[in-house]
Amino acid sequence: MPEPALLSLDGLTKRYGAVIAVEGVCAAIQRGELVSFVGPSGCGKTTLLRLIGGFLRPDTGRIVLEGEDITATPPNRRPTAMVFQNYALFPHLTVAENISYALTIRRRPKAEVARRVEELLTLVQLQDLGPRFPAQLSGGQQQRVALARSLSLQPKVLLLDEPLSNLDADLRVQMRAEIKRLQRELHQTVVFVTHDQEEAMSISDRIMVMDRGRILQWGTPSEIYERPATPFIARSVGAVNFLEGVLTNGTPGRATVSTPLGILAIRSAVGGVRSGERVCLVVRPEAIRLGPPDNGTGPNRVRGRIESSMYTGALIRYSVGVGAARLTVDLYDPRHTAIFREGDQVMLILPEDPHLLPA
Amino acid sequence: MPTELLLDRPARLRDLRARVRVGALPTALTLLLVAWLLTFIAVPVVLVLARSVAAKDGGITLAHFAAFFGKAYFLRSLTNTLILGTSVTALVMGLGFALAYLVTRGPRVLRWPLRALTVAPLVAPPYLFGLALIILGGRRGFIAQLLNTQIPLYGWPGVIVSQVLSFLPLAFLMIENVLESLDPNLEDSACDLGAGEMDLLRTIIVPLAAPGVLKAALLTFGLAIADFGNPALLGGDLSFLAPDAFLMITGEWNTEMASVISVVLLVPSLAIFLAQHYWLKGKTYTTVSGSPAASEERRIGPWLLIALVVPCLAYVAAVVASYGVIILGAFTKLVGIDNTPTLEHLVRDVGLDAIWTSVKVSLVAGVVAALLGTGLAYLCTRTEIRLRGFLEFITLIGFALPGTVMGIGYLLAFNRPPLLLTGTVGILALNMIARFLAVGVEAGVSKLHQIDVSLEEASADLGAGVLTTLRRIVLPLMSSAFAAGFLFTFMQSMISLSAAIFLVAPGRLLASVYIFNRAREGDMGIACAMSVILIASVAVCLWGLSLLARRTGLRIFAART
Repeated sequence: MPEPALLSLDGLTKRYGAVIAVEGVCAAIQRGELVSFVGPSGCGKTTLLRLIGGFLRPDTGRIVLEGEDITATPPNRRPTAMVFQNYALFPHLTVAENISYALTIRRRPKAEVARRVEELLTLVQLQDLGPRFPAQLSGGQQQRVALARSLSLQPKVLLLDEPLSNLDADLRVQMRAEIKRLQRELHQTVVFVTHDQEEAMSISDRIMVMDRGRILQWGTPSEIYERPATPFIARSVGAVNFLEGVLTNGTPGRATVSTPLGILAIRSAVGGVRSGERVCLVVRPEAIRLGPPDNGTGPNRVRGRIESSMYTGALIRYSVGVGAARLTVDLYDPRHTAIFREGDQVMLILPEDPHLLPA
Repeated sequence: MPTELLLDRPARLRDLRARVRVGALPTALTLLLVAWLLTFIAVPVVLVLARSVAAKDGGITLAHFAAFFGKAYFLRSLTNTLILGTSVTALVMGLGFALAYLVTRGPRVLRWPLRALTVAPLVAPPYLFGLALIILGGRRGFIAQLLNTQIPLYGWPGVIVSQVLSFLPLAFLMIENVLESLDPNLEDSACDLGAGEMDLLRTIIVPLAAPGVLKAALLTFGLAIADFGNPALLGGDLSFLAPDAFLMITGEWNTEMASVISVVLLVPSLAIFLAQHYWLKGKTYTTVSGSPAASEERRIGPWLLIALVVPCLAYVAAVVASYGVIILGAFTKLVGIDNTPTLEHLVRDVGLDAIWTSVKVSLVAGVVAALLGTGLAYLCTRTEIRLRGFLEFITLIGFALPGTVMGIGYLLAFNRPPLLLTGTVGILALNMIARFLAVGVEAGVSKLHQIDVSLEEASADLGAGVLTTLRRIVLPLMSSAFAAGFLFTFMQSMISLSAAIFLVAPGRLLASVYIFNRAREGDMGIACAMSVILIASVAVCLWGLSLLARRTGLRIFAART
């Protein structure tokens, strides 16, 4: 029997006048999980986070934390803690006072507060900065203070609202790792809101992709990448080739799709798509193998011509023309693999297990 | 090929900068402005200072100060003035904060009406509430008639209440501005960390608002101690410095003692001014950044709500009652005693003449102050003239000093050739300009700081001459600062009393002085009627301006920067 969810969102809907910000969101978040809400701006991810934090009340639906309905609990009595996009550090308090704010409000003994502040400062590696004011810190340091402050009460759920968007690129990657480390160390349940797909992919246990207030897909990063629910999701998590065609079911576990490139064999058909229906194959650039034009025989081989190439160090990205179609193909580790020039004839080997979407 | 294109780019940029910045306003104009500021702000103040230490034989003496501090009467005036300033400031801060808190964070239905009523006294002369209180609670006032008891209005209660009513709106606007500019995320964040409503007030809102509130407190204190009208009307047996200075002039023509009193009044004003501009500068927390995320309105708990709403309602009720009783007084024979409706008070030739004079003086003062103010702002931000800090300082001095001081200073400076101006309408306008010029300058400077120099350079780059650049780029962008300077000067000139009362001549009365005199002599009907007309003309002028603004697309009322 699976462990019951730590936090369940049960049909949450939030409207602003005629605008529906969040619509019928249902999800369960497990203890110790790091989940991300991802989507374009205005998709409802921040609204959903603020609903969980208690800053907004849903029009319908319930929020249940450890079996307790907290839908109507105000933020100051909710065991959640939020890191705001602009950190919202109190400018008139020192770093130590910021971090101890929640404990001071609760009138915890001085010694305990001091010990906890020390602990938290060590946790975020800011040992010596306790007496400073927020304005004297760099963006990354402010971020760490905000994290420490929100962890001071050991919240059941830590809510992060685009916490890295105000940092520059290097620091963002560094802080990403830092958040991941803290989360693992403390076994902390975290909800992370971001518009950056790559950030979400690299940090999350599970990702909720949202658009226009609804959940488009809710799964692990590899599910999102390899089996995206829509072309939109497929495109948003990396380069992708779409091949449209008609499905013909053969023996169980075997099917063919006739595409503009020719007839491709695939190992398994998706449920719900029947023989004769149009489908869309989702093929990632690195799933296509590239070889010289005389590269043997076998299924799913098509000839093409290199139209252009782009060298980025770790890989070469080719644009390959096959008839009227163009495919994007990535070749990793270009030192050890045959390098093709523009105009070269090549043989493409398409995967036998592509992801299928209804066209 | 034009030679310009042959020059390297940095050189061309330097050239543009030089043309736009230094060549824009000829030195002659600058000198004229400096001369003007010195004559109409610095000289009167210096003369007051000099007179306070002038000996009969032309030497310097501290005898007048010794006389002031040796006399129990003056010492009492001084203590009374300080007590008044302190208590009014404390009350105004408490009420102002409560009102601002309700208007920015209270129940939505309350916000708009509460704000409108709170700022309503802004268009009234500062002693209007003194007048209203006399009609309500004076010896023959409403309360005396209806309840057949006397309330102790004259003395502390009357002066304090009327001053609170007069000075609250400005303090409210400042505190509201502070509370509005606090990042809502900070409150959300504190709430998230477990802070209840009172924790939030105690640990976040009050500490963050404190510097701004302190600014408002200093301003209120300065206004309260310098106020002439309310203490003169309601002081009763109590003496205060500003009315004392007036009596020294009108009663005994004792300019030395009047100057000493001015200096005593001037010291705290100057201290406040220096504190605001050098000590408090940059101390405020500007915390808003980015777009505030939506949050549910926080409910104010019932006890706090009651604690806030009750005094606020009392204040609002007093404002409404004051306006009501003034309007009633304007249209009845003798309000409270003979309530027969009449229009007779409204057709006093002397009063209407005074109002007409006020409108003319205020319009002229408004236009000139706005022109000078924005011009000075341009000089101070865009040219490399020297004395920049000095120019700004002088205009601010004119603004910061009590009207009484500026009134006496003008008497001393302009009652003999070469500038014999006493008794003319011109001296009134000049005095108003000198006192309120700073608003236009400040608005202009802050606007110009927002307008990047590159805009002007781009214009010049596209081939426009200096004048074209000024006309097409700078002036349109400056229009809101111009409007701010004009509006403030106009409104203040219409209603201010403390300096004007020294400078009016018989037959050339200003409305504010005329109304004050009638009120002091107990002609309540006329005082009320003229107040109504005065307020109405201010309102009509504002309305006309907003109409003009809409026609021309000028953003006049977006001027609160």
